Amino acid sequence: MKHLIKVFCFVIIFVILTVSFSSSYLQVNLDNIAVVVAIGIDKGENNTLKVSFQFTAPSSVSESGSSETAPTILKSIDASSISSAVNLMNSHLGKELTLAHCKLVVFSEELAKEGISDIIYTFMNDAQMRPSCNVVVSKCPANYYIENSKPFLEPLISKYYELFVSSNQFTGYTANATLGKFFDNMICQSCDSYAILGGINFQLSKNAQEGFSTKESADISNSASLNGSTSSENVGLAVFREGKLVGELNAIETLAFMCIGNTVKGFLISVPSSQIENETLDIYLTPSHKTKIDVSFVNGSPFIKIHSKFSGQIRSMTNDSNYLDNEVLKRISEACNRYLEYVFTQYLYKTAKEYKSDINAIGKTSLKLFKTISQYEDYGWREHFQDSFFDVSVDVNVKSSSLLSDS
Amino acid sequence: MTDTKITSKEAIMLIVTIFVSHTIVTLSKNLLSNTKSATLINLIYVGIIALLFAYIIFRLLRNFASLDIIDISQYLGGPIFKNIVGGIFIAYFIGTSSNLLREFCEGLRVAFFPMTNILFILIPFILVLFLTNSLSFSSNIKTVSLVFPFVLISIVFLFFGNFQNFSFERMFPLLGKGFSDTFITGIGNIFAFSGISCLYFIPPYLKEPQQMKKICLTSVIIGLFYFLFCTATVLLLFSFFVDVDEVLPLYSAASYIEFGVFFQRLEPLFMLIWILEIGCYMIIINRFSIHIFQKMTNLKSQKPLAMIFPLFVLGIALLPQNYSIIRFLETNIYSYFIIAVVFVLGITILFLANLKKRKERKNSL
Repeated sequence: MKHLIKVFCFVIIFVILTVSFSSSYLQVNLDNIAVVVAIGIDKGENNTLKVSFQFTAPSSVSESGSSETAPTILKSIDASSISSAVNLMNSHLGKELTLAHCKLVVFSEELAKEGISDIIYTFMNDAQMRPSCNVVVSKCPANYYIENSKPFLEPLISKYYELFVSSNQFTGYTANATLGKFFDNMICQSCDSYAILGGINFQLSKNAQEGFSTKESADISNSASLNGSTSSENVGLAVFREGKLVGELNAIETLAFMCIGNTVKGFLISVPSSQIENETLDIYLTPSHKTKIDVSFVNGSPFIKIHSKFSGQIRSMTNDSNYLDNEVLKRISEACNRYLEYVFTQYLYKTAKEYKSDINAIGKTSLKLFKTISQYEDYGWREHFQDSFFDVSVDVNVKSSSLLSDS
Repeated sequence: MTDTKITSKEAIMLIVTIFVSHTIVTLSKNLLSNTKSATLINLIYVGIIALLFAYIIFRLLRNFASLDIIDISQYLGGPIFKNIVGGIFIAYFIGTSSNLLREFCEGLRVAFFPMTNILFILIPFILVLFLTNSLSFSSNIKTVSLVFPFVLISIVFLFFGNFQNFSFERMFPLLGKGFSDTFITGIGNIFAFSGISCLYFIPPYLKEPQQMKKICLTSVIIGLFYFLFCTATVLLLFSFFVDVDEVLPLYSAASYIEFGVFFQRLEPLFMLIWILEIGCYMIIINRFSIHIFQKMTNLKSQKPLAMIFPLFVLGIALLPQNYSIIRFLETNIYSYFIIAVVFVLGITILFLANLKKRKERKNSL
């Protein structure tokens, strides 16, 4: 009898718990959810948001092994907030939207200029959103950007969104800007946020390289010199201050940002050749030490010393190159130093004076100069950053070319 | 339900389990709210003080062989005083554990079961208590010993997994809110070491009572390292200037761990380990509460209490109407209650009992 009562109790508890937890299970059941891989947010009419959701087609999950690109669906809706947009879309689709696999959030430039901090807070409050989701500011409408984001070498759009910034470590032309980092920088008093600058390539003509400041150095999304069909491109950075877009950085400025932030593993630069006039040399540089940032105060203004060290390898080769000559290598190294010092200084003054935005979080380095938080708050790093002056020194050691040394 | 003895290693794990379970929920965030960037220094400082307290407790308990604080209260002030002290300790154990359980379950609801009523998320933990109350104390502690290494690994892994995302500059300004907030009012952070309360109750369970000193000091030192790992993870990963209150800060920290494209979304694994840890914590607290009540009422068996205490925990856990009340209770009530009960009442009783004993010895001479 005692055993029977135990079994009965167990069955009752099992049934109660199964029923009570089933509602949560049903919400995340594959049959009931629509998987969002990207969200685009534009400014709508009458103070609303135009929110676009990109979904993977349900059949594409099973077709992931095929060589064809999996189809996607893009739907847009006007709503007063993100949560309302999700709710309306739930009703429209007859399925529950899940943001757990969202890899990309795109804001239009127009909306970003007005401020996106509330939207970022809402996303971070959502238990489904991942902090690793990439944040893009699009120079064209966000829904247009997503519509034209077509992976060429990846069958799955979600994988493309996850990997499209991975080249930044070897080019330095765009940075890894995730939702978690954006939020963290936004609430931090000693740094500012940044996002990937995206756009659509309308220009199909080939542009020739132009002297010292090469074309790719000046590249920015929406204006790059890539040939081919219309597609999204991500070059440069969108600079924010207190959650509002204040400016943008081109490819070479982004490279400076990444070098100072120690997030680039290697990059290619073009410097004037010491041997032939009007010719440039392509040199691949890799950081040999972490960039050192030293902050002190002179008459209340931050004096920031930046010192970077790189080792280089010459990629260009002509029929009269002589890279076994130590003097030639020294001259090339000095040219690299001058070039990078110029680029870094331009970048730093642009962000400090023009944008008043500390996206490199130099303010964090200044924290150790204060004993207490109240002292730091009284000083007001954000207000004083625009008064900063910089001393940049770069030490490049060009070691050799690649397989050929002398020709 | 026959209570058997536990080894000194099991006793250490038991005490550290109490430390850790609070850390998993919101303790690290509470510490950071109090002392901001100086929290790591403050933790080392209060850790040394806690170590001192643990040593004092060991010295004061030494004269009472294998008696716990309830027996010592009876010796000091008779049965009425014993019942008052017992009542306070039960209120402390049930109050803090119910609040912690509710807070953890609220986090579980937000992260995994948004459509499930909080009652049903609490029920499995209560069922665990029903089940474990029918087993011996030593088997309960063996379960704790089994879970403990996984919890230890999870916290260390959480720290090193997030290492690449850390900003070590966030340890500055070194003095946080100021010298007095760090070293004078900052002593209040000693509530983190509430697990010391177990030292008052474990002497009767020990196989080797002579190892008490080792248990006292080792458990506090391991607990201190745990706190440093957890707090450093939250401090170095998130911006501290603006108080953004996460429901489960370590869960949020776990979501940042990624190793390439294939090794992602580890937080459910962490959560699974932490659910087991919270279960272990509830088992220990529940057993001590029953043990105290048995001594207060002179019951021969704990069997009648096996169902009552878990239901009591469930009832109290359901009392707060919303999350803000839970947070208010934790930050404004229980932290002071812990200091009053564990570090003031407990040590005062032991100190007075020692004085009485010394007086009796003098009189007998």
